[in-house]
Amino acid sequence: MDKFRMLFQHFQSSSESVMNGICLLLAAVTVKLYSSFDFNCPCLVHYNALYGLGLLLTPPLALFLCGLLANRQSVVMVEEWRRPAGHRRKDPGIIRYMCSSVLQRALAAPLVWILLALLDGKCFVCAFSSSVDPEKFLDFANMTPSQVQLFLAKVPCKEDELVRDSPARKAVSRYLRCLSQAIGWSVTLLLIIAAFLARCLRPCFDQTVFLQRRYWSNYVDLEQKLFDETCCEHARDFAHRCVLHFFASMRSELQARGLRRGNAGRRLELPAVPEPPEGLDSGSGKAHLRAISSREQVDRLLSTWYSSKPPLDLAASPGLCGGGLSHRAPTLALGTRLSQHTDV
Amino acid sequence: MMDKFRMIFQFLQSNQESFMNGICGIMALASAQMYSAFDFNCPCLPGYNAAYSAGILLAPPLVLFLLGLVMNNNVSMLAEEWKRPLGRRAKDPAVLRYMFCSMAQRALIAPVVWVAVTLLDGKCFLCAFCTAVPVSALGNGSLAPGLPAPELARLLARVPCPEIYDGDWLLAREVAVRYLRCISQALGWSFVLLTTLLAFVVRSVRPCFTQAAFLKSKYWSHYIDIERKLFDETCTEHAKAFAKVCIQQFFEAMNHDLELGHTHGTLATAPASAAAPTTPDGAEEEREKLRGITDQGTMNRLLTSWHKCKPPLRLGQEEPPLMGNGWAGGGPRPPRKEVATYFSKV
Repeated sequence: MDKFRMLFQHFQSSSESVMNGICLLLAAVTVKLYSSFDFNCPCLVHYNALYGLGLLLTPPLALFLCGLLANRQSVVMVEEWRRPAGHRRKDPGIIRYMCSSVLQRALAAPLVWILLALLDGKCFVCAFSSSVDPEKFLDFANMTPSQVQLFLAKVPCKEDELVRDSPARKAVSRYLRCLSQAIGWSVTLLLIIAAFLARCLRPCFDQTVFLQRRYWSNYVDLEQKLFDETCCEHARDFAHRCVLHFFASMRSELQARGLRRGNAGRRLELPAVPEPPEGLDSGSGKAHLRAISSREQVDRLLSTWYSSKPPLDLAASPGLCGGGLSHRAPTLALGTRLSQHTDV
Repeated sequence: MMDKFRMIFQFLQSNQESFMNGICGIMALASAQMYSAFDFNCPCLPGYNAAYSAGILLAPPLVLFLLGLVMNNNVSMLAEEWKRPLGRRAKDPAVLRYMFCSMAQRALIAPVVWVAVTLLDGKCFLCAFCTAVPVSALGNGSLAPGLPAPELARLLARVPCPEIYDGDWLLAREVAVRYLRCISQALGWSFVLLTTLLAFVVRSVRPCFTQAAFLKSKYWSHYIDIERKLFDETCTEHAKAFAKVCIQQFFEAMNHDLELGHTHGTLATAPASAAAPTTPDGAEEEREKLRGITDQGTMNRLLTSWHKCKPPLRLGQEEPPLMGNGWAGGGPRPPRKEVATYFSKV
């Protein structure tokens, strides 16, 4: 149990490592998917290229979209991009930073698929078997061009009776697979060189800006998460009080009725319902939440949060001027509450 | 169970080096696994054989080497340390050299495994050099001169592919394969021997020369790594505290507005004011985490000065100059304090 909590804490503490984990997981799923997928070339002249290229490119597209979906940061990015400015300046640099980090992670799984498909070669053989130059192979010397075309389209299908046990099929297939693997390795090489250069050269550009963007994009993410948590807290508290109020009103109603019935003859003993235990569950901590106690107020709070984010200057806003710790009680109370909540 | 897990976790967290060793071991295993999963497929065409084999022998090791470097956090650390402005801390080229060497050593293991496995397996070598087999010595030497050169090359290029080889009358396929594989394995073992020897010499000879300098470089490269990590952690913590206080102030401000608007917050305000003085610790804790840096400009200045002007590596005596350091003194210097607490914890 504690183990899970620690893992959870670790993931919570840095959103980046969760994202890396998800990205790795998607890549592993891709490998599994590719190896369990039954590739089945149609071996018909016009369909081959379509099927081969489709399998080479469609799943990566889906995986890319999955990567975007699974990444929390993509939502945060869009929200940050579209939000009204409010009291807080919008920095396109931060959005760009988020975008590039989201894209990098989302691209990992599609690239794994494409590289696997190229190194495996089945897709490539299926897609391009008809466009091989027959001159390269002496085995086609005594065939008419249409026969050659038919033969080439059947190359990916080992079991077809036209090409079974034919050395020419094996030669063509070997040639195509070798090309496919060569392309695959070159792409891998290029990608890895690009990644390497990106990591090496980044400090040569403005490292300061990078540090700042990383800090603020992290901040935006954390702020959203904490706001959600606070809202959840408020909703729970609101519901709790609503239910208690309901019970209290029921009790008073019952008491009123009971009095009437008592008057009629029999005295009804009602157990004393305790006062809503507001002082028990971290009581004062919810003071700031309690003040917002009607639907209109909540709605107003939420729309204010959306339309005008508070400025990123804690000293300037009214609540805590001069680090005053004692003159506004609810502030302190909130502090305790939040710290309790996020320690979990 | 729990303690064990925590111990492993702490171990991995605290000791970057052992973590890297783990990754490097995994990469070496993955490299061997990759070779066995990879379907080597010689094209068996005269012009392509050599290029394909050379590609398979060299491209994956290069990829593995670069992958080792990219996976290793030290690359960006090294580049950052190399390119950073001097600030108030001297740069030591020996530390940079140490980082680079340790990184390169780790990254080299997986490629070496790949090359060794490829050579010992021999398929790649067979594919590359099958056209260079001495036909006159191994096969029917009397027939060879009668063939035109391209035809001979076409025939010999098919040696690695048993299902399309049709030159048994000239040279038994088995013989050529055995001959080439034997050479390949000899090369492979020599390669293994050489690399082991080299590694052994480097490890055993180094302490004779520069042990003291080595210890220093090791300490400081480790220090840079840990400092970076702790700075990141402190930044995240600060961002969290910042967000908390910001949200809390937002709620405050909303409360304030509502109270001004109409006074039916009686239910809420009564218990709050009653319990107020009892729990001031939480907010204080949050504000402690903020360390006096409470707006965007100051934070940006802090980050800039962290990059432009690293504090000197001397604790204790430096407080007054640090304060007047252009990043709006007010709070204590965050990372310094954290380092101390970190070490006392571990």
